[in-house]
Amino acid sequence: MDRPQTLSRELQAIDTIVAKHKGRHGELLGILEETQLLNEHKFLSEEALTYVSLKTGVPLSKLYNVVTFYSFFNLVPQGEHTITVCRGTACHTKGSRTLLNDVGLILGCSKELQNGESFFTTPDQRFSISTVACFGQCALAPVVAIDEVIYSNMTTAKLQKQLGKISKKGKRP
Amino acid sequence: MDTITVTIKINGKELKVPQSITILEACRRGGIEIPTLCFLEDVSKNASCGVCLVEVKGARSLMRSCITCVYEGMELVTHSARLREARKTNVELLLANHPKDCLTCLRNGNCELQTIAGELGVKDERFVRTKKLELPDLTSLSLVRDQNKCILCGRCVAVCSNVQSVSAIDFSGRGIKTKISTYMEKGLGNVACTYCGQCALVCPTGAIVERDETESVFEALGNPDKFVVVQTAPAVRVGIGEAMGMDAGSLVTGQMVAGLRRLGFNRVFDTQFAADLTIMEEGHELIKRITHKGVLPMITSCSPGWIKFAEHFFPNSLAHLSTCKSPQQMFGAVAKTYYAAKLGIDPRKMVVVSVMPCTAKKYEAKRPEMMSAFEYWKDNRAWSDDDAFYDVDHVLTTRELARMFTETGMQFPALEPEEFDNPLGESTGAAVIFGATGGVMEAALRTAYEVVTGKALTDINFTAVRGMEGIKEASVEMNGTTVKVAVAHTLKNARRILEQIEKGESPYAFIELMTCPGGCLGGGGQPIPTTWDIRKKRAESLYAEDAQKPLRKSHENPHIAALYEEFLKEPLGEVSHHLLHTEYDKRPMLVKHMAAEV
Repeated sequence: MDRPQTLSRELQAIDTIVAKHKGRHGELLGILEETQLLNEHKFLSEEALTYVSLKTGVPLSKLYNVVTFYSFFNLVPQGEHTITVCRGTACHTKGSRTLLNDVGLILGCSKELQNGESFFTTPDQRFSISTVACFGQCALAPVVAIDEVIYSNMTTAKLQKQLGKISKKGKRP
Repeated sequence: MDTITVTIKINGKELKVPQSITILEACRRGGIEIPTLCFLEDVSKNASCGVCLVEVKGARSLMRSCITCVYEGMELVTHSARLREARKTNVELLLANHPKDCLTCLRNGNCELQTIAGELGVKDERFVRTKKLELPDLTSLSLVRDQNKCILCGRCVAVCSNVQSVSAIDFSGRGIKTKISTYMEKGLGNVACTYCGQCALVCPTGAIVERDETESVFEALGNPDKFVVVQTAPAVRVGIGEAMGMDAGSLVTGQMVAGLRRLGFNRVFDTQFAADLTIMEEGHELIKRITHKGVLPMITSCSPGWIKFAEHFFPNSLAHLSTCKSPQQMFGAVAKTYYAAKLGIDPRKMVVVSVMPCTAKKYEAKRPEMMSAFEYWKDNRAWSDDDAFYDVDHVLTTRELARMFTETGMQFPALEPEEFDNPLGESTGAAVIFGATGGVMEAALRTAYEVVTGKALTDINFTAVRGMEGIKEASVEMNGTTVKVAVAHTLKNARRILEQIEKGESPYAFIELMTCPGGCLGGGGQPIPTTWDIRKKRAESLYAEDAQKPLRKSHENPHIAALYEEFLKEPLGEVSHHLLHTEYDKRPMLVKHMAAEV
């Protein structure tokens, strides 16, 4: 296990981030944002958060407050690919509920999505599925973002095609 | 002080009030009551409940009086049909997610939500539940948190952060998912919580309560094989009356003893006996540290919340803590050794129950090192680890004792006062004032001065260390040396004192630190409400009790002298070392390998 080593490398990087933001107004959000990007799986690990708390003097409970308030922050590892289904009003009327269900069926995680989880990562860590309230692309409804590319007028067939393309690329080594 | 006054009109009546006070304050000064729920004087104004609404002329919406300041010419209405409807609706919305299990809640009859719902005339359940049910947090030995009962008033968060500087809890999530959380939902038992219970003291509902041990105590009392002794902390005698419907600060030592006998305790003893013992040990420890160039300043160790705070937040300064156990633990250790031997009973059959103004004491009693009596006996008696017992078996808060009295139908105020049993029930005035901030310091000075100088004090009242100021200082002349001392209460002030020590700038030789505002009399296990007015009344009663005691210095307690003669031999001696002294642990904030690495 090379865990301790990667950990300390991550911690060193956090030192730099904290030093860079020190004294700036609203420094905490910047620190957390960059700390999250450090992580291979784009999430804030317990170790990283504890270290940020230690370095900034912000109590752990307060950090937890901030990272659970903003949906940008992740407390669990993110999948290799992200699928974001818009559940805004326009997309909803154009059938985005069905699209979300389709994603579940295609990736084999229907049950989790039906339990009302707004965020879910497949056990193989390949896909993270989330929903948003609106992308601001209502004219193109329904929209689904795959790896931060927004696909408009989405249909089940198009969805299947896109996800198929990603799957064919093979698994991460 | 703000001297600029403004003229406002409340319900058509003109009133002159200082600028920059809130509408709520202005109304209270004008003798007009506005109902409030989340607001708590000196603690928090989160303005989340929407109960203190008023109509302000010209304003677009109803205003929350707890956070809106007055201005010149402001005209407001405090009671109208519109306000009545709005306040009631806001409470109904809170009730939508609040469980309707009032009858089985520890706060039944002493719940601000229940009271306000009654006062505002809520009659039915108009709104449906929108939140998921959550499991209670049972990770702490002292406190139980039930998120479902929480109305998100923010008082606990405010007290934990602003008064105690601990921040074990905070809001988490957003919108409907907002709740009060520990870091990563680990639970109070797994984060740097000191178990002080100030959150439970300010909670308007039953969302944070003490871990109730009344059933276990009733069970022990009903077991004919057990010899059950009880000890009562100083602050309980000025709190329990309040919880039994008497005036704030009522001094009810005699009734309390009578009530405990009626509950069926075999012996009713006093933690104050152990407080006198603490002074003997701690006083000599201080003298030894001063004369032998030991670590100074020395800090008192009676308050378990403060101990846990130091272990988490100042792990490198633990050498400053007195090694003396708290009076509760000294009592347990002495009861199950000296007293058990005196009576000739098996210490395994003895149950020590303590009644404390404190929630952290529940945890203190279960610290793994608090088994000194067992360690003392086990080798001689060939006991195995299966026989192991704690020095103190059960810890009840003042509120729990009140529930036991109530459950057994005690007419508490009418009880004929009775005396404590001997020998562990005898105490001096010095021990009484342990319950107030500055009391341990004063008691220690009374004894240390006479031991060091060999002269009797002309005035034994050290008034400089009395009172509710956050940090107090005093200097005492002893044999030509000036000893500087300090007294602080609340963990925020303790933090200031510790930061000063770690910078090497502390001018003191001896420091008393207490976790709760006002000292133990304002402890997390005391009756609810506990306000500054009430704290002052409880303190007055303790000092009054001290003044009327025939003996007021710990070293004059004849039963303490007998205990040393027959058993302990001398302060800081071999037996004391094993039974009355302890050591402290460095506690990581959370993640173990991180603490090691950093």
